[in-house]
Amino acid sequence: MRDSRDSRTGPALAVLAGGLVAAVVLGVALGAVRVAPSELLGALGRALSGQQSGMIDTLVLQVRLPRVVVAALVGAALAGAGTIFQALFRNPLADPYILGISSGAGLGAVVALTLTAQATALRYGVVPLAAFVGAVLTMALVTRLASWRGRLDAASLLLAGVAVSYTLAALTSFVMVFAREQMATVVFWMMGGLSGASWPYVAMIAPMFLVGAVASLAFTRELNLMLLGDERAGHLGVDVRRFKLIALAVASLLTAAAVAVAGLIGFVGLMVPHMVRLTLGPDHRALLPASFLGGAIVLVLADLIARTVLAPVEIPVGIVTALIGGPFFLWLLVRGERS
Amino acid sequence: MNRREVLLRYAEATVGYAGEAVVRGAGLTVESGEIVGLVGPNGAGKSTLLRAITGDSELLCGSIELAGVRLVDLTPQRRASLVGVVPQQVSVAFSFAAAEFVEMGRHPHLPRFGRPGPEDVRAVETAMDLTDTAHLADKPVDALSGGDLQRLAFAQVLATEPRILLLDEPVSHLDLNHRLQVLDLTRALAEKGLGVLAVFHDLELACRYADRIAVVASGSLHPAGPPARVVTAEMLRSVFGVRAVVGTDPVTGTLAVTPIIRDGAVARAERGRVHVVGGSGVAAPLVRRLVLKGWTVTAGALNTGDADATLAEALGLEFAAIPPFAPMDAAAAITCARLAEAADAIVVCEVPFGHGNVDNLLVSVRAGRPLVLVGEIEGRDFAGGAAASYWTEAVAGGARVVPTFDEVEAALDALVPARH
Repeated sequence: MRDSRDSRTGPALAVLAGGLVAAVVLGVALGAVRVAPSELLGALGRALSGQQSGMIDTLVLQVRLPRVVVAALVGAALAGAGTIFQALFRNPLADPYILGISSGAGLGAVVALTLTAQATALRYGVVPLAAFVGAVLTMALVTRLASWRGRLDAASLLLAGVAVSYTLAALTSFVMVFAREQMATVVFWMMGGLSGASWPYVAMIAPMFLVGAVASLAFTRELNLMLLGDERAGHLGVDVRRFKLIALAVASLLTAAAVAVAGLIGFVGLMVPHMVRLTLGPDHRALLPASFLGGAIVLVLADLIARTVLAPVEIPVGIVTALIGGPFFLWLLVRGERS
Repeated sequence: MNRREVLLRYAEATVGYAGEAVVRGAGLTVESGEIVGLVGPNGAGKSTLLRAITGDSELLCGSIELAGVRLVDLTPQRRASLVGVVPQQVSVAFSFAAAEFVEMGRHPHLPRFGRPGPEDVRAVETAMDLTDTAHLADKPVDALSGGDLQRLAFAQVLATEPRILLLDEPVSHLDLNHRLQVLDLTRALAEKGLGVLAVFHDLELACRYADRIAVVASGSLHPAGPPARVVTAEMLRSVFGVRAVVGTDPVTGTLAVTPIIRDGAVARAERGRVHVVGGSGVAAPLVRRLVLKGWTVTAGALNTGDADATLAEALGLEFAAIPPFAPMDAAAAITCARLAEAADAIVVCEVPFGHGNVDNLLVSVRAGRPLVLVGEIEGRDFAGGAAASYWTEAVAGGARVVPTFDEVEAALDALVPARH
């Protein structure tokens, strides 16, 4: 099994990469206006050769493609963050949304959105930063609350996450009261929407994602060792305290990147690592890259559903993921209770 | 690896938790090729000493050196490549394949983005061969039995190819078979040049497997020495508060420790004096019981080296010692008479009487003290009728006869009322 698992990793990643390309093509091609593959290629060709172009080209290059790219990056970031949280807390139910980290990033982002209402250019820099600060502070708060009596157990972690999440949601609403004219934008953003996604959004999220992805791919072995428990990980050479700080910061960065552009999108970080683990096993050297790819695919497809299922009405993608992810979470809970 | 090298050195090391010292000023070295055992009462700090090496407890003062390098100068990764820690208990809640699990032991040797190379694969295979786990390679670890998992954890440690092995009560929860397997493997690894420091709960296992033993007690580490020099009746009494007999195991030839009675239980004795006539271990269970109940026990003539004499010595009882297999002499008879006359009651156990020891019975019967006789004399008079006639004399004089040891205490309670 080990050899087959090792030899399965490469092909599996290749399949996922292929799947991502296919999902991106579908995401760009389908919608209120269908774009034929030939037109798609034509638009890309004209864009690369710098030719001026028509309406289809604008639709493909300025509307659909950036949106699909943002969806892919957000999905990858959330799935990656979920994988890291699940390993660090040795808890398969951990995910940025359930732990309240997304809400923390959300509050940070809403505060920044409100304060920078008049300066759009500033937003692209300040919102992600504020989201990151919100995520890190929430992370610190939740782990602190959950480890109140010494050890950090699974149940108290989830409870602390949920409680903090509610409180932060209330605070977020409170902030919104002071920014009535922004309310519609903020509410739609909070539900997890990608409708405004454009190239500046890509520019905003891509650097954060890249830093988080490269850093986390560098510590996949440590994530494996953390599954043995803090003490064993320490025996086998992990500087546990330092590593936890770094890994939590990286996971918070990935979460903040996603939340800053797409609001609160739940359950991607929970479901994707699970599905990948079922097929590739728990080794993070395969699990983490596969989760990045899987998360990207899932969110691109979820956004496609959000855009097309009630077209021309568009539903926030967060609702789509919650409708699929909520029952999935319950299934995990029930299964965990039984075993 | 014949040249011995100091792999682990504690120098004036004070270790503890949260700034509080548990063991102060410890000094100890472990050389390549030897097993050093740490023994001591619960909570004395054996594990604390061991855990300081991996940073699981704190080194508050002094130094610990690994292969000549101070602990503070080693990165966690470098330290992990030198020291293997065999975990006490392994729990897994994830389905790594056994070989993947063992491969995790290679972590300290791999560069950040490196994949395991041929060297790593070889180390994993060797480790699994040594621990007899190669056949498990493809099995998910969460489906394995406790024993398999323990061996796999050992394999994971060996995959690191450490120079020092730390074991913290490694076998206390293993069955007999796996216990020996783990310890025999440890022995074999020491012979290959590893230095081993192990905490032992079981003194006999410590004596059997350790080359040197060091006692941890009341906040300090006593100097290490060969088992026979360290594990003595005096040490067991002063450190563990237990009166014990230290002998030689007839099969392994290593030390055998038989704890008899807690020191605290003996100290409370103030019930009365009982003189017991026994021999060859017949009286031992009764003597132990009487001492526990608070009786001050003296014994008749006993041949040194027999089980009753060994027990009497360990308990510090007063008795007339005669050389092994020798008959009672006049001096022994006088001592016996004195002890019998000083007693509040005398108990004669179910021992065979011959010419060599029948005087034991005689002085007891003639001491004029209340007498309890256990069993019947028939079948154990080898003194040509002398024993039977003393016995009849005793019974005629009002001695109580009880069938077994179980009735002795009640008889004594009737004869010697408790003083309050």
